[in-house]
Amino acid sequence: MANAKTTSQPVARSMGRSLLMTLPMALWTLLMFTPGLMKPGLNQHIAAVLTGAFMVWLFYRMLRTGQTYRWRRIFFVALGFLFPVGFVAALLTLRGSMSIPIEHMISGDTPFCYMVIPMLIIPAALTHTLAFPGSILPTPSNPHSIAAMIGLWLGMTLVLGKAWCAYGCFFGGLEEGFASITRRARIRKLDERLRLVPWAVLLAIVLLSAAIFEPVYCMWLCPFKTVTEFPAVHDAETAIQFGVFVLLFTGLVVVLPFLTKKRTQCGFFCPFGAFQSVFNKINIFDIRIDRTRCVDCGLCVVKCPTMAINPESVNKGETLMSCMKCGACVDSCQKDAAVWHIKGTEVGRNPERARLLFLYAAWAMATMFGGSVIANGLSTLLHLIFRG
Amino acid sequence: MRVRLLSILGYTAAVATLLVALLVPLKLMGGIAAVVAHAGFRIDPMYSGGTALRTLQSAGYKLTIYAPVYPHRLQRGKPFQQVVFEPVQALPAQVTEAIDMNGDGQPDVRVTFRIPSDANAPLHGSVVALNSICQSVPDISNNSFSELLARTGDRIVLRIPLNLK
Repeated sequence: MANAKTTSQPVARSMGRSLLMTLPMALWTLLMFTPGLMKPGLNQHIAAVLTGAFMVWLFYRMLRTGQTYRWRRIFFVALGFLFPVGFVAALLTLRGSMSIPIEHMISGDTPFCYMVIPMLIIPAALTHTLAFPGSILPTPSNPHSIAAMIGLWLGMTLVLGKAWCAYGCFFGGLEEGFASITRRARIRKLDERLRLVPWAVLLAIVLLSAAIFEPVYCMWLCPFKTVTEFPAVHDAETAIQFGVFVLLFTGLVVVLPFLTKKRTQCGFFCPFGAFQSVFNKINIFDIRIDRTRCVDCGLCVVKCPTMAINPESVNKGETLMSCMKCGACVDSCQKDAAVWHIKGTEVGRNPERARLLFLYAAWAMATMFGGSVIANGLSTLLHLIFRG
Repeated sequence: MRVRLLSILGYTAAVATLLVALLVPLKLMGGIAAVVAHAGFRIDPMYSGGTALRTLQSAGYKLTIYAPVYPHRLQRGKPFQQVVFEPVQALPAQVTEAIDMNGDGQPDVRVTFRIPSDANAPLHGSVVALNSICQSVPDISNNSFSELLARTGDRIVLRIPLNLK
């Protein structure tokens, strides 16, 4: 960290120094991917080696170039597109379909997704029951048990806070991918109030789920059901549910990100993102605006993928609590005014140190969770390519 | 002095976060999962079928009778009581059974269903109520949590809707 400046923007490092600083992450990656290398099958081994190398290379590029957003985005888009590949392949092998038949629900074989967590809280607190057709402990037919997934989510949330949405979530990468296709946004003016919609959706689904003891968001609103799993269509109600999933996916995950260059489902709809924002309050890392350098050009506001920074927050020298620490504002700021920051420390003093501490922690989580998801998807792809 | 103290606290917390990150896959994740697993939560009976009450032996197979399940105030679905037949291999191709649901020694429902040779084919059957508590269902299949006849692995799960509230 000797070359970390007291000014804001990180500088590019030499190759040797970058390699040396990447070494701890390479060792961590080796530790995380050793179980994958122990599994039988050439595809698994190739996928583990390729993914491990991919994660280490991206981390090296972050250190070498001093840029965060661009390299993180490559990981995140790969995660978003490869998660459904591995997940759907597993579903097709297990039950021959992406739809969940009622037989699997009553036997607790529905894989648990972290999106459900906010909806479980009130029913669990009031009645000690979990309103989800899964299993609390892992079973041979459902390793994604509720306890295991809550353990994973809470552990990662302690480290990441809202940065879960940029380094942990296996859904957001799809939007980020579609948002990256064009160079310029076709729709530039977006109503500021859209930022509040995820909070409204969160409030509505938490209360409704508590009232009717069903994970309402999963049953009716989750766009990602389209590329993962959904209740089997057997009547008008389940047909409408499926139609809603497809419409929301097409609109919020494909078309609007393409037109606006924003993560529209994450920024303007996702209740889990709003829920994660609360954990930003207890996370030690954040991004600040150094008012002594800021010229109010508004570039950070334009570049933020989720509208987590606005002119008022820039004036106050901070981002909003929904900031997912993706680094887009920091990397785009021409005046080095948007800076990585550790709460309690002076803004703009050694931001590279703050960035490094955050990145080591965040990338360790990304490698552990996202890396394993990418390796699984890659292994499935290799299987399809070589065995058909 | 205060600024310096805050700065030291900030860096300490940042380093602690890094240590927590290293502990997540090694210890923390499993520890939290164990706490959740042993916190006494249960899956909502509307999905799980509730608590097993008693077991009855029939010709080569057993029936497990569950406690009645009542939906929460605004929860969709009717009250129901679950019966599980297992193992499937021991069941005849056509099952006809009079079942004592409440343990009073008198049969409460007569259940009839066929077991198709294709394990993935939906089951169809009928339930005839022999008392005023159980509901008759002329064609019971797998369309709702509270009115259900379905095969899950080596078990046939039957959920009989009740008139109780």
